[in-house]
Amino acid sequence: MSGWLAAPILIPLAAAALLVLVRGRRWRGILALAGAAAHCGSGLVLVAACAGGGHLVLAVGGWPAPYGIALVADLFAAIMVAVTGLLGLLVGVYALGTDDLMADAVFPPLAQVLLMGAGGAFLAGDLFNLYVWFEVLLIASFVLLTVGRRPAQLAGAVKYVAINFLASAMFLTACGLLYGKTGTLNLADLARKIPADPATGVVLTSASLLLAAFGIKAALFPFFNWLPAAYPTPPVAVSALFAGVLTKVGVYALIRLFTLVFVQDVGRTHALILVLSVATMITGVLGAAAQGGLRRILAVHIVSQIGYMTLGLGVWTPAALAAVMVYMVHNMVVKTNLFLVVGAVKRLRGTEELARLGGLWREHPGLSGLFLVSALSLAGLPPLSGFVAKFVVIRACFLAGHWLAGAVALGVGLLTLFSMVKIWLEAFWKESPDGAAAGAGPAVRPLGAPVWVPVLVLTAITVAVGLYPEPLLELAQRAGDQLMDRAGYIRAVLGE
Amino acid sequence: MLFAWLILGTFGAAAVAPWLYRRAGARAGWLLAAWPLLVVAAAVGRLVRPGCPAEAAGWDWAPTLGLRVGLYVDGLSLLMILLVAGIGALVLVYGGGYLKGDARLGRFYAQTLLFMGAMLGVSTAGDLISLFVFWELTSIASFLLIGFHHADAGTRSAARQALLVTGGGGLALLAGSLLLGLAGGSFEIVQLAGAAASIRSHGHYGAILILVVLGAATKSAQAPFHFWLPGAMAAPTPVSAYLHSATMVKAGVFLLARLAPVLGGTAEWHYLLTLLGVTTMLLGALMALGQTDLKRLLAYSTVSMLGLLVLLLGLDTTMAVEAALVILLVHSLYKGALFMVAGAVDHETGTRNVQDLGGLFRCMPVTAVAAGLAALSMSGFPPLLGYIGKELLYEAKLQAPGVGWLILGAGVLANALNVAVALTVGIRPFLGRPKRPRAPVHEAPPALLTGPVLLAVLGLVFGLMPGMLAGPVIAPAAAAVHAQATQIELKLWHGVNAVLLLSLATMAVGAGLFAMRKRVRRLGERLALTVPFTPSRIYGQLLEGLMDLAKDQTRILQHGRLRGYIFTVLAGAVAATAWGAWGYIQWTRPDRLAPVSPVAVVVGMLVVAAALAAVRAASRLGAVLALGGVGFGVSLLYMVYGAPDLAITQLLVETLTMILFVLVLRRLPRLREFSASRQRLRDGCIAAAVGITMTGLVWQALQVQLGPAISEFYARSSVPLAFGRNVVNVILVDFRALDTLGEITVLAVAALGAVYLLQRRRPPQEGPP
Amino acid sequence: MNSVILRGAARILVPLQLAGALGLLVRGHNDPGGGFIAGLVAAGAFTLLALAEGVAAAQRWLRVAPGTLTGVGLLLALGSGLPALVLGRPYLSGLWSGEWAGGVRLGTPLIFDAGVFLVVLGVGVSIVFALMEE
Repeated sequence: MSGWLAAPILIPLAAAALLVLVRGRRWRGILALAGAAAHCGSGLVLVAACAGGGHLVLAVGGWPAPYGIALVADLFAAIMVAVTGLLGLLVGVYALGTDDLMADAVFPPLAQVLLMGAGGAFLAGDLFNLYVWFEVLLIASFVLLTVGRRPAQLAGAVKYVAINFLASAMFLTACGLLYGKTGTLNLADLARKIPADPATGVVLTSASLLLAAFGIKAALFPFFNWLPAAYPTPPVAVSALFAGVLTKVGVYALIRLFTLVFVQDVGRTHALILVLSVATMITGVLGAAAQGGLRRILAVHIVSQIGYMTLGLGVWTPAALAAVMVYMVHNMVVKTNLFLVVGAVKRLRGTEELARLGGLWREHPGLSGLFLVSALSLAGLPPLSGFVAKFVVIRACFLAGHWLAGAVALGVGLLTLFSMVKIWLEAFWKESPDGAAAGAGPAVRPLGAPVWVPVLVLTAITVAVGLYPEPLLELAQRAGDQLMDRAGYIRAVLGE
Repeated sequence: MLFAWLILGTFGAAAVAPWLYRRAGARAGWLLAAWPLLVVAAAVGRLVRPGCPAEAAGWDWAPTLGLRVGLYVDGLSLLMILLVAGIGALVLVYGGGYLKGDARLGRFYAQTLLFMGAMLGVSTAGDLISLFVFWELTSIASFLLIGFHHADAGTRSAARQALLVTGGGGLALLAGSLLLGLAGGSFEIVQLAGAAASIRSHGHYGAILILVVLGAATKSAQAPFHFWLPGAMAAPTPVSAYLHSATMVKAGVFLLARLAPVLGGTAEWHYLLTLLGVTTMLLGALMALGQTDLKRLLAYSTVSMLGLLVLLLGLDTTMAVEAALVILLVHSLYKGALFMVAGAVDHETGTRNVQDLGGLFRCMPVTAVAAGLAALSMSGFPPLLGYIGKELLYEAKLQAPGVGWLILGAGVLANALNVAVALTVGIRPFLGRPKRPRAPVHEAPPALLTGPVLLAVLGLVFGLMPGMLAGPVIAPAAAAVHAQATQIELKLWHGVNAVLLLSLATMAVGAGLFAMRKRVRRLGERLALTVPFTPSRIYGQLLEGLMDLAKDQTRILQHGRLRGYIFTVLAGAVAATAWGAWGYIQWTRPDRLAPVSPVAVVVGMLVVAAALAAVRAASRLGAVLALGGVGFGVSLLYMVYGAPDLAITQLLVETLTMILFVLVLRRLPRLREFSASRQRLRDGCIAAAVGITMTGLVWQALQVQLGPAISEFYARSSVPLAFGRNVVNVILVDFRALDTLGEITVLAVAALGAVYLLQRRRPPQEGPP
Repeated sequence: MNSVILRGAARILVPLQLAGALGLLVRGHNDPGGGFIAGLVAAGAFTLLALAEGVAAAQRWLRVAPGTLTGVGLLLALGSGLPALVLGRPYLSGLWSGEWAGGVRLGTPLIFDAGVFLVVLGVGVSIVFALMEE
């Protein structure tokens, strides 16, 4: 069973290498979808294998931990792999319908590399290996940002890469420091070796550096400024993939390290995470209110929602960690979907600026309805997945006595609603500013099945999770318990 | 169980409504109205059953969180169901006539039915969470319906205002529900009522009460949140009649009534609700003074009546609850009718301004009769149901403990003002001579008449035969609120007593106000001008303030300059690290320092010099060469410390990098802009801070050694287990081959990207969407 | 850059460099060297060739597109870990032949190293060619 652990890394890598070699558009399409589907499928296999609450461990190369690299899956990791694969698949379908993305030299292979990096990061049981996957993600996302090669994209991509290189440098430094202190890089081994006594100071000096590094990756306050610069410029398929996957890997790494390795001085580390999370929620939602383009609004909102996720980590109870997982799954699905809808709007109207949009509700009620469902879900309204996600996060805050954090999470929900309503009013309700000329622009092309299918699937997921959340909640609860069970992880990896 | 299916069916009807409209056209409204009538029939069937037992059912929804979908149908629910489904049926018919020919009528039906389903859900919810879910759905439906004529900017902002105010209150309700659930150990209302005593003495009781009341107050347009309701008059009139007078705005009152057995009976409850209610009642009535638009007049008087309802629940006596329930019903009847009349008048004459209306009786006699009946009921004129409501009301207030006289005085004033409103809306437009010559006005079509006539007549019938209501409808509802069976008696004639005198006085003052309406209106207008801070203005300023804050924040944090971004990120990282490391870094000499060779010192100094040179360089090439010096120096250090593989690799990489740099630099313009000295100072400071932090971290790391390094295993096992003497290579291709696999992927992607960006064979184009 | 001296030097140096690169690759498991270093040296050789004779000539010399080298190298490295799966061992487990004359063993890690070599060569060459092409 544990052999499957390598699949989410190897399958996309093989697909990527083949995509570099293969030229025909049709074959590239098939390869790209097959790679993502297999990634998702292997994720589902991992979920099934971990659903009982156990860990899967693969000692790569046959070298046992802590000497070799261990790939480890618990329920949280497995679910992240599966959701990432699903998003990769759906965005791949979407890309089929957009002009020439499948014929582009870099998009198809690099989308696979992105999946590979995410899969590796989710499954890495070794700090340096985690670093490698972050490098894979970084370089792939950097190049993906430039797909289309417009100057504005390069400006955003340069900001992205410059700031993320800083994160890499901090991460690498922290790796070196920890290795110097503990002589190991295996996460379970680190967890075991670091003494519980915070006074040794082993943890905090490296942990806070890692917090900053992953804070950049996850776009936490005050490290988020690369995100609004980068996300809105590339083709929509790229934005959608990033929105769903990229920052979440950073959040995942934070959660992994600050539940498994660095829990010796929660009063410092997790309190800091809590404070940063609250600041992130607020600055993100305020920042979004000041934007005027669809993807810019949505992108800045990602920051705010990252705050919800790390908030659960800061609270650090099984319920809170379960809540984080629910929130992540919800947000990955809904955010990707909103970007895809923006893509559809852009196709219909040739712009994504609110000032130039209008009349969509009158002319495209179906698409409008799908947007509305996702937007309301994002704002946390029932009976959609966003409500469930917000509910569990706030409930966890209240249960743990973090009243203020819970209240902020509630209030930020209202501001999210404000932004979503702004989009609705301007793009959907307002009459088109060009008069009745809607549909006359050169950019108008009918939306084909490649656009409709992913949007419908993702909308169906948010509705289904909202109406019947129990399966996800149950999985999340088990995942949360598992994350809090450090001894279980250590035992599974080191076999003691 | 039955009602669960009926609610689902309502949502189903919403789903098929647009399709039905496409097939059946104008008749769709009549067809769709059949469904709510079925709901009414079911409710009546339940009411006539002796004793009217409460029905409870529940399904596990999210057992992990202890959440169930609870259905709880008692007398209070049935009263609401009757209103929601009954008036809903009439509104579906009415809307078909009102919006006839509008292409979006199908959407109107769908959204109205969506609202109806949600409102039925609120009425029958057995637990707080399901109640909240439906509660928010009604807000969404209301938002869509208010924005029906969304081409108009004012309409859009009114819809947004309603959604934000009620949505904000919804959040308070959610927080309150969560706290209540935590305090009471369950979200189910029946169980909470069982634990009422412990909840009332719980430390969170005050917070729970305030949060729940906030939710109710926003929904039921209590001061100071009332302002969204007049704004919501931008909705088509059938929507105003249905949501914004008869049903949705009652949801807050319903919530309070529903939770009275849980939260009521305390001094906090009493004073909070009484104060809220009195303020709202007076404010609504006074604000109605200056209005000339039929719908706004009705809206403000609705605010006033909603205040009255909250006040009565706050009084918390049996009589007061009874009065509240009767008024809840009677208000829905006459206000629904008057709104529909206003719509019909607007539809036929094209105006809703009372000053432009007159003498319509001759052209619209049926409408006029309905309007008159409704207006008289609203004025509390016998033998209409409104009269009974007012009698009960005064009786309740006379009985009320504490500040009864003050409340009574306010009540008489508010009621008198409402009488004036009733006469202005329901009587005035139909009497006198027609104003302004205009195209001949016709009687409204049947679709527009059915609703108002039926509602007005019901007010009369129930007034004459109050027994039809008292036993079957009001008693079970009152029992639900007070959690005990009550004997209810509704009578037209109580004999000559204080209550009767108060009623007469109210009507007299009301008629007097109506007679002086021009002067009163001017007074009202002047009054409105003197108030400096109206809540709606505060709402506007809040929105503006929010936008300003958002813009300021964006200017500070998201200014678009990379240099500033890097500064922020580094400063944040240094601060975070300092927070974590504070007190742990010891600047003492670690024992693990290996002896430093003189060669290393010299090379190290060269590296530092090269780094300084890179900073000072005045050209790109100079900087690159200096950086190359740093790289070569580092590879020398590797050599000194016995790592030939690393040294070779580093040398080769540096060489190749230099070649690439030179190739790239050919294409770049010369450096022209150098940063200002202030910027340099800032950058220097942050650079120094980063350097000091890193040094401290390394220094600290040297002082800790927690176990043997895994590298010892590599050195030991390389030859016997991995068959290679070059440990570095064995690590790369065997021990940690997966890392290498990742890194060569990085290289491959970098090359792919470089080639991609360098080949500009295609002209740059607008990115594919 | 098209000097006669450079071309002359390239004639001599390029074959030497390539031979050296192969040597580094082969001996890398036991002595300083390995796929990464060998790849860099080989890429250096083609850089020199491109400088001396032009990109087109260097490309002819290379015969295949640099991107193909990279892709094949990745697949080779990736594939070198797969045979272990057939034997039921974890991915990337080294499989080795018995000891031959002179203590030489062949094993899948060497194939992996060859993959690294190809990738590094392909990457270096493709960037240099792209930069020099215009």
